[in-house]
Amino acid sequence: MTAPAASSAIAAQLIALFAVLMLVLQLLLVGQRMLLTSIRLFALQSLFLAGIAAVIAFFHGAFHVFVVAVLTVAGKVLFLPWLLDRQVRRMRIGQEIEPLLNFPTSMVVCAALTLFGYILARPFTALERLGNNTLAVAMALVLTGIFLMFNRRKAITQVLAWLTVENGVMLAAVALTTYGMPLVVELGIFFDVIVAVMVLGILVYRIRDTFASMDTSKLRQLKG
Amino acid sequence: MIALALQTLLLLGLSPLVTGAIRLGKARLQNRRGPPLWQPYADLAKFLRKDMVVSEHASWIFSVAPYIVFVTALLAGLMVPMVSVAAPLSLFGGALALVGLLALGRFFLALGGLDPASAFGGMGSSREMTIAAIAEPAMMLAIFTVALAAGSTDLTRIVQTTLEPAWGLANPMHVLAFAALFIVLLAETGRIPIDNPATHLELTMIHEAMLLEYSGRQLALMEWGASIKQLVLMTLLVNIFFPAGIATEITPTALGAGLLAYAAKLLLLSTAIVLVETTNAKLRLFRVPDLLSIAFAVALLALFSTFLFP
Repeated sequence: MTAPAASSAIAAQLIALFAVLMLVLQLLLVGQRMLLTSIRLFALQSLFLAGIAAVIAFFHGAFHVFVVAVLTVAGKVLFLPWLLDRQVRRMRIGQEIEPLLNFPTSMVVCAALTLFGYILARPFTALERLGNNTLAVAMALVLTGIFLMFNRRKAITQVLAWLTVENGVMLAAVALTTYGMPLVVELGIFFDVIVAVMVLGILVYRIRDTFASMDTSKLRQLKG
Repeated sequence: MIALALQTLLLLGLSPLVTGAIRLGKARLQNRRGPPLWQPYADLAKFLRKDMVVSEHASWIFSVAPYIVFVTALLAGLMVPMVSVAAPLSLFGGALALVGLLALGRFFLALGGLDPASAFGGMGSSREMTIAAIAEPAMMLAIFTVALAAGSTDLTRIVQTTLEPAWGLANPMHVLAFAALFIVLLAETGRIPIDNPATHLELTMIHEAMLLEYSGRQLALMEWGASIKQLVLMTLLVNIFFPAGIATEITPTALGAGLLAYAAKLLLLSTAIVLVETTNAKLRLFRVPDLLSIAFAVALLALFSTFLFP
């Protein structure tokens, strides 16, 4: 690392700030009732992820991380939210999300999960070899994202929750290894996500066609 | 002693102005002409001149409550650094005493609403306490976060610590605590997603419901106390998280610059409040805990994060 100490301190501060903002957005997502607003919150969260990638690329001179940042902006900030948005409008589904657990309880559960994530990451962050402490945040994003997935009934909100889990994994990959994963791996994951969301979109559409609802709790019988 | 007198004057004089500025900004943003900036002063002057009508069923608590609400807000304000780093008053526990004083004021506000046994007053008090039960822990957690970093609950000390250059702008815990405290500010001052300060619609009001039975001088004290409390909370938010520009020594130029910076910061925060009030709809009462639980969770995370990002 040739970057002087002062600029790497700034980089660490920016990364920590963006990571925490991602976490705040995740919590807002847990407490959000409106579907379209949720999609926008996800887009904003992805924008901060791209910001972290850009900061790392800029301060460590790693060019391929820039590619990741640009791809994140193009895919997760612009394309996927647009796709989900269009789908929500096309299906004219109810705007309101009905979670299984009520909102205050979900918030408490998510706070507990975040704490759990922090504790899990503690042995690694205590080593201080990791440049920054974003592993804990990434862990928290994954855990709360999984909780969000089964706390939602509608298939499309579950897709959204899954995307936030993916954001958490991406954060760990980008921020922790300092230079990110090899570009090939990242490209692979990235296109996986895009394709998966498109497939899931079609699946959601089919579910709604067949059951006249997107409530996944209605999918309990096998067709014989 | 002079500092004490000056800050008291500033609190008394500035608080109606802030209320008026927020009201005017809101009106302008909604394409209304709105009341003039000094309308709250005129209101207070008018209330102070008018006679009081006190219900014959009301006890002494009803008459005492406005004074307690007013004095606790003022005392709390004296403990917060406004223009200069050194707050004129430092009671036991600093931030703890501040939260306690505000809680005492709220307790008597709720009692004042209950005492004359009007249906609306009781409703308002019950709602106020429901909201306070969640907003207050969130506020305490947020303040503890900054107190932990400063190693003291004394507000002067906290502001001094955040002033140090090593902290920078981008402190994750501060971002979290600020977000939580901002939601608490909206709740405590009865702003739009939680309460509507501009309405007397019986089904939705919270703060106004408790003041319905008050008139004359007592109403003036209640309104003034609410304005001061709003200013105190805004000052807390502005000076704890963005202490830049605050006067560190007591010289006329430093104080002048501090006053200017303070006014600019208050203006920014007021603009933020106006934007939130204009772009949001009021929440249904039973959804208010949802919003406040977000504040609580975020404040809790802020506290956890203190141990994570040393």
